[in-house]
Amino acid sequence: MGSLSVRGLTARYGKTVALHGIDLDVVDGEFFVILGPSGAGKTTTLKSVAGLVDAVEGEVRIAGRDMTGVEPYARNVAMAFESYALYPQKTVEQNLASPLRSGRTGSWSVAEQSERIRQVTTTLGIEHLRGRFPRELSNGQRQRTALGRVLVRPADVYLLDEPLSHLDAKLRAAMRAELKQLGEMSRTTTLYVTHDYQEALALGDRVGVLRDGRLVQVGTPQQVWHEPADTFVARMFGQPEMNLFSADLTADLAAVPEGGTAARSRRGGITVGVPASVSGSLSGSVAGGAAGGSVLLGIRPRDLEVLTGPEPSDRLVLRGRVTLAERLGRLVELSVDVAGESVIAVTDDQRVREGDPVSLAVPWEQVHIFGGGAGLDTGNGAGTAAARLGSGAPVSPVVDVSAASGGDR
Amino acid sequence: MTRERQPGQRRFSPASIGADVVLLAWFLFSLFPLIWLVLLSLKSESEQISTFFEFTPTLSNFATVLSDEGARLTSVNFTEALLTSVLNCVGAVLVSLVIGVPAAYAAGRWQYKGSGDVMFTILSFRFAPELMVIVPLFVIYNQLGLFDTNVGMIWVLQLVTMPLIVWILRSYFQDLPPELEQAALLDGYTRKRAFLMVALPLVRPGIAASALLAFIFAWNNYVFPLILTGSSHTPVTVAVTRFLGGGGQAFYSLTAAAAIIAALPPLLVALSIQRYLVRGLSFGAVKA
Amino acid sequence: MTAPARVRPDPDTGGRRSASGAGPAPVPAWRRGLRPYVLSLPAVLIIVGILYPFLLGAYYAFLNYAAVVPNPVFVGLRNFATVLSDPAFWSSVRTTLVYAVSATALETVLGVGIALLLSRSSLVGRIFERVLILPLMIAPVIAGVLWKLMFNPQFGVLNHVLGLGRTFDWLSESHALMSVVLVDLWIFTPFVAVLVLAGIRSLPREPFEASAVDGASWFYMFRRLMLPMMWPYILVAVIFRFMDSLKIFDHVYVLTAGGPGDATRTLQISAYQNSIINFNYSVGSTYMFLLWAIVFVTARYLVSVLGKAQRRAAGSEG
Repeated sequence: MGSLSVRGLTARYGKTVALHGIDLDVVDGEFFVILGPSGAGKTTTLKSVAGLVDAVEGEVRIAGRDMTGVEPYARNVAMAFESYALYPQKTVEQNLASPLRSGRTGSWSVAEQSERIRQVTTTLGIEHLRGRFPRELSNGQRQRTALGRVLVRPADVYLLDEPLSHLDAKLRAAMRAELKQLGEMSRTTTLYVTHDYQEALALGDRVGVLRDGRLVQVGTPQQVWHEPADTFVARMFGQPEMNLFSADLTADLAAVPEGGTAARSRRGGITVGVPASVSGSLSGSVAGGAAGGSVLLGIRPRDLEVLTGPEPSDRLVLRGRVTLAERLGRLVELSVDVAGESVIAVTDDQRVREGDPVSLAVPWEQVHIFGGGAGLDTGNGAGTAAARLGSGAPVSPVVDVSAASGGDR
Repeated sequence: MTRERQPGQRRFSPASIGADVVLLAWFLFSLFPLIWLVLLSLKSESEQISTFFEFTPTLSNFATVLSDEGARLTSVNFTEALLTSVLNCVGAVLVSLVIGVPAAYAAGRWQYKGSGDVMFTILSFRFAPELMVIVPLFVIYNQLGLFDTNVGMIWVLQLVTMPLIVWILRSYFQDLPPELEQAALLDGYTRKRAFLMVALPLVRPGIAASALLAFIFAWNNYVFPLILTGSSHTPVTVAVTRFLGGGGQAFYSLTAAAAIIAALPPLLVALSIQRYLVRGLSFGAVKA
Repeated sequence: MTAPARVRPDPDTGGRRSASGAGPAPVPAWRRGLRPYVLSLPAVLIIVGILYPFLLGAYYAFLNYAAVVPNPVFVGLRNFATVLSDPAFWSSVRTTLVYAVSATALETVLGVGIALLLSRSSLVGRIFERVLILPLMIAPVIAGVLWKLMFNPQFGVLNHVLGLGRTFDWLSESHALMSVVLVDLWIFTPFVAVLVLAGIRSLPREPFEASAVDGASWFYMFRRLMLPMMWPYILVAVIFRFMDSLKIFDHVYVLTAGGPGDATRTLQISAYQNSIINFNYSVGSTYMFLLWAIVFVTARYLVSVLGKAQRRAAGSEG
């Protein structure tokens, strides 16, 4: 029943600044996922909303009310901690009863409490564990108990801190599905924090990508996937990570009907046309000015298709030789040498062998262009904080040259 | 590394037998005096100095020590001394707990400005020479009428009990994950209730350990009551020495009996908190 | 697992909305910051209450306070001059230092040895470990009484058992210091042993196992692995023992009252005799002031050594 709005949230632990002015608006009932690597400030964000961090600046509004100075027990917020934080000397039943007995989540008669607990534990499949102590539970059971403590009482906002991170992979996948159902059911504004992009895409109505205490992009799963704001966001989603190539933006070369400029990778291979609208926005962020500079081209491995027939004219085609083919069940992960660049592609075409020549095609709309920092190679952990722009779409496809001859067109 | 052999050791080598011999020698040295004390306490008055190990045991010494007749005989009212000790030590520990638990919590949970200084000052009481504070206290107590009183002793024993309790409990509070209390806060409990409901129960072993250890040290204290009490409120530690004192008769068996009675409570308490002893003795420095 | 009916109650039917409904009252930040201070206030008051007599005691050292001088005046450093030029004081210092150093050193060696032996968990060790702590839990003064009985030349058991006849006086002028140190050993070696044993037991196994696989002998492992890692625990024990033995009083006083002569007149006993027996408060306080200075300096030094040892031990595990 509460929207959540955060303005300029800055949080400090001693001397270090954990959050640098976060702005966020979560609509009532929305399931919002904050995605980020460890240390990004995800837990700090949750705890700040909950009122558990002392040194905060900025404004937090829950259900429209300003929460500045308000103690956690008066915020009507429920949180599931990453470490579960179950009371060790209380049974599961008593753990779930705790919020109901405090008086601040409503007044419940003993019978009502029992009934609520029964409902929640049944929903979560832990009803048979009600008399057990946390030390007698498995990780998965503890996680559900922690979740139960959140669900058992009404709240304006649910805060879930990496609830699935300590579960093994299969359990995690199963719980993801359950969480989705629960989310739809409870329709409470939820702020969910994780470092797992799959959870973010599967569960979130919207996703916010957090890096070093700053929100780098906020959008629907579609948006963050298809329109990443920078290479950091682009590389957060998708496994294997997006291929990134440094490219030179030069004024001459390929005649592109739309009148844009051609970008050529330094090693003389992949060439892409950049429409004027895009290069215009690029010039602001690219070193070297309007007519030149370096950019980053990004192509997701799964967007690349292994060509079996004639080369299409409406897609970018990359020709190269397979250096490594890893079979992972149904899919094959290929490392292809394209004019000196290593391109990772994922395909279900099982016939490709190492050493084979291969042609990969990707639709123009799925070739991302990022205004590049100087000389950043693909695979660099830091990623560039560059602005993401549109992909180029020249009419005449410019095709690379095979590895053997090198050189350009 | 408890029930397994250490790497690099052989089983019944001469070295290991030699090691056991050395250990036995130590325990012989360590326990012999105690055993002898027990034997002495069981000797009747006539035998107390005439024999060493052959005698007919009797429990009369214990009875005498605790009786009025014994009090008249030796001019030491031992039963009263026992009660004084109990009163002083329990009182001192309770006061230290009431005051020390919140302070330990504040220092353990928050690193507030000045917490280091407060903790260090409290620690310094442990190492400060007692006579430095006793002399002025002797003067002050006489002025305030606190000389030879239980209240006076309880106050002065804070020097012994409070550092122990505060330092040990601080280390226990530091070990508590803050998220448990945070969960309680979000459940709707105030900080005070969260503390009482979550934090306090979890440091119960620490409270027991530090309180009992403080009791032991308060009980065993000698120099404070020696100077700051007179004839009516002496605790057992001073009372035992009085058995040996005066010219004239020597009450060796009675002394032994009194010593055993005086030493028994701390011993029993110590045996019950064996597990927490190390952490307590080192003031939380050693967490093993 | 399918989702049954809505888990969250409809606010209109069951479960009245939280009592905090009418807008929560904010708690200003400064009030929150005050909490640790409020909690510590009683303790701070007690500290002040105890510090006051301490400072008063230190102040007495600068007065000429005595029973014969009920209204003392400030005399500056005169007491210090007197005391520091009094051979009795230096004799006391020497006695105290000899006592502290020998007791601490012997107890450390013995205690570490016992701890090492007990850590082997032999049958003997396991049987007797429970009673290791016994002498420590007895009041030192009672231990003094006990040993006084045992030291008695005529009917004390020691002379009898050790075959020393009926005239060997343990508390004679030449033997007294040694004897009181012996009693100190009896009482306090278990302290060192228990602490070091706990430290040994908390050491990680892997370095030793790896070493054994490499074929190292026990001595090698002890010297290179165990000792460096044990060092912080040993130091903690040494610090406690040394600091405590500098101000030793209880059992020494009962055994010898500082005598015979000056043989066992430690600093605190001197202070006691000056202040309480001779009612010369200021002189006694001067002794204590100087003792406190010694303790303070030694403590600072030892704690810094401990810090270094802890860092080295952590490094050697890494």
